[in-house]
Amino acid sequence: MTDTLRSPRRHAIATLVMGLLGATSLSAQAQQDGIVFTSWGGTTQAAQKKHWAVPFTAVTGITVQQDGPTDYGKFKAMVESGNVTWDVVDVEADFAAKAAKDGLLEPIDYSVVPKAQLDPRFSGPYHVGSFYYAFVMAFNKDIYKGKAPANFSALFDTKTYPGKRTFYKWSAPGVLELALLADGVPADKLYPLDLDRAFKKLDTIKGNIVWWTGGAQSQQLLASGEAPIGVFWNGRVHSVESSGQNVDVSWTQSLTAADVLVVPKGSKRKAQAMKFLAYAAGAKGQADFATDTAYAPVNLGSKALMSPAAVKTLPDQFTKGQINLNMAWWAENRDVVAKRWYAWQAQ
Amino acid sequence: MPTDTMTATLALPAAAAPPRRRSGLAWLTPSLALLALFFVLPVLSLLLRSITEPEFGLQHYAELVGSWTYVKVLYNTLLVASVVTVVTVVLGFPVAWLMAIMPSRWSRFLMGCLLLSMWTNLLVRTYAWMVLLQRTGFINQTLMKWGVIDEPLALVNNLTGVTIGMTYIMLPFLVLPLHATIKALDPAILRAAATCGASRWQAFWLVLWPLALPGVASGALMVFVMSLGYFVTPALLGGASHMMLAELIAQLVQSLLNWGLAGAASLVLLVITLGLYALQLKLFPAKGGQHAA
Repeated sequence: MTDTLRSPRRHAIATLVMGLLGATSLSAQAQQDGIVFTSWGGTTQAAQKKHWAVPFTAVTGITVQQDGPTDYGKFKAMVESGNVTWDVVDVEADFAAKAAKDGLLEPIDYSVVPKAQLDPRFSGPYHVGSFYYAFVMAFNKDIYKGKAPANFSALFDTKTYPGKRTFYKWSAPGVLELALLADGVPADKLYPLDLDRAFKKLDTIKGNIVWWTGGAQSQQLLASGEAPIGVFWNGRVHSVESSGQNVDVSWTQSLTAADVLVVPKGSKRKAQAMKFLAYAAGAKGQADFATDTAYAPVNLGSKALMSPAAVKTLPDQFTKGQINLNMAWWAENRDVVAKRWYAWQAQ
Repeated sequence: MPTDTMTATLALPAAAAPPRRRSGLAWLTPSLALLALFFVLPVLSLLLRSITEPEFGLQHYAELVGSWTYVKVLYNTLLVASVVTVVTVVLGFPVAWLMAIMPSRWSRFLMGCLLLSMWTNLLVRTYAWMVLLQRTGFINQTLMKWGVIDEPLALVNNLTGVTIGMTYIMLPFLVLPLHATIKALDPAILRAAATCGASRWQAFWLVLWPLALPGVASGALMVFVMSLGYFVTPALLGGASHMMLAELIAQLVQSLLNWGLAGAASLVLLVITLGLYALQLKLFPAKGGQHAA
């Protein structure tokens, strides 16, 4: 039955068996020079396919197969077994930093990828920016009539804003930062994160937290009023708004982070993968993707190619009170934080 | 699965059985080989990692036992599996019993309902429960409309939600073996009990229940063991503080990349499961032809 199939034990076995067998159907089907692109599924990957993969194939003749969702366990298993079937993978920035340290990534060939055009905040020796997003506080206007929350402290004010709050479930940059900001830590003093203080603050609303594990679930929680307030990926709220739901975003504080594109170590189609990165991070690919998703481009030349209306929706229009999540700190402390995070959640 | 083609494609090195002696083992060889290659071997390699990664030793096991978090996850796992098993038996027994005594047209209909739910995608069923149970969901809305409650009940993201969702998914796994057991009983025994002056309750507790017990036990074991390794439903319907072992292993494998610890946690799960199985064999030794109708 599906549950056991998806169970982690099987999952681990599946990845190991992949290593044993030395091939998956996917790579068997992949043409000689075609590449496999892996991302998170949903509306985001659909946009990546439409604005990056399809035009890239039209220009270069290199086919791009879609796979997903991104899975760090699989990623590691592939590299370890030397049987790498993914060529370009969309990952979170803190994972990229750790994977580079662990030797799981190929260095980016900047003779092919146009480094000068890229926002230096989101690209580095082993990764190229994919898109940049903000964690934003959003709320259901049907439930909080005329009481627009001003900043993250609203999340901890259950008197004025009763009901469940929803946050990202996994250990990742974002929730700890907003707890500290709500507790009065100045934005420029956030790092290194004071974990004790953050968890203590989160304890005050622990019984009112519902965790979302993926974008679709977060949209459902917000739109249904199950959790009338919470912190979301800005693109997901944008699409809830676009569908005519009565929700609003509070941009007074937002936390920016980026997804990045990496090439797993041992990819058999490195040259083609670099060409794909050059297109995906190029001005046009980034502009088209940003217009479609309301996630901001990582290419400095993209905004010139976008309509003013589309530019208005991007997270980089709201720099007042905006905080860049510190990925370097996270890469260093990823495991320590994760341990404490999951231990705290389980209590 | 046609075993002959399997052997052909796999070109198994296993010795073919002497053609005319149809021993059970020969028929089993292809499936055993398949299991060894695709199940036993990878599982062993994962378990091996638990004592070799990052260095040789039992540090992962020490961490599992020594960490309050992991102990609590183990406790959650056993608690949820126990609660789900008990509720499933309580709800499932009457269904199995009804199916056994009803006219066959009706019992076929009931069986059809059971199987239909079993064949529906698990994620769909889990999300359906989410929609029904949530604060703004159908159940709470209806109860509030009728004035039964003023505040929505917390039916999801907690133990209640996990129990409801998992019980629903597990029911067929109890009802099917139990139904087979009850069906094999001679209905005359209950009449005989009544003739001898037993009340309905006595007939049930003293006659039917003991005879059905092997079926209950095998169904309950199946439900309990499957619940132990359950992943999707508790992850979606439970709260973060009710994490179960399977979800923890998934987290260790997929996001923390700590495969040594994941292997250790998997071994714990495996040992509990095999222990329970051994216990069942001890309590209810398999008798040949027990299910022969």
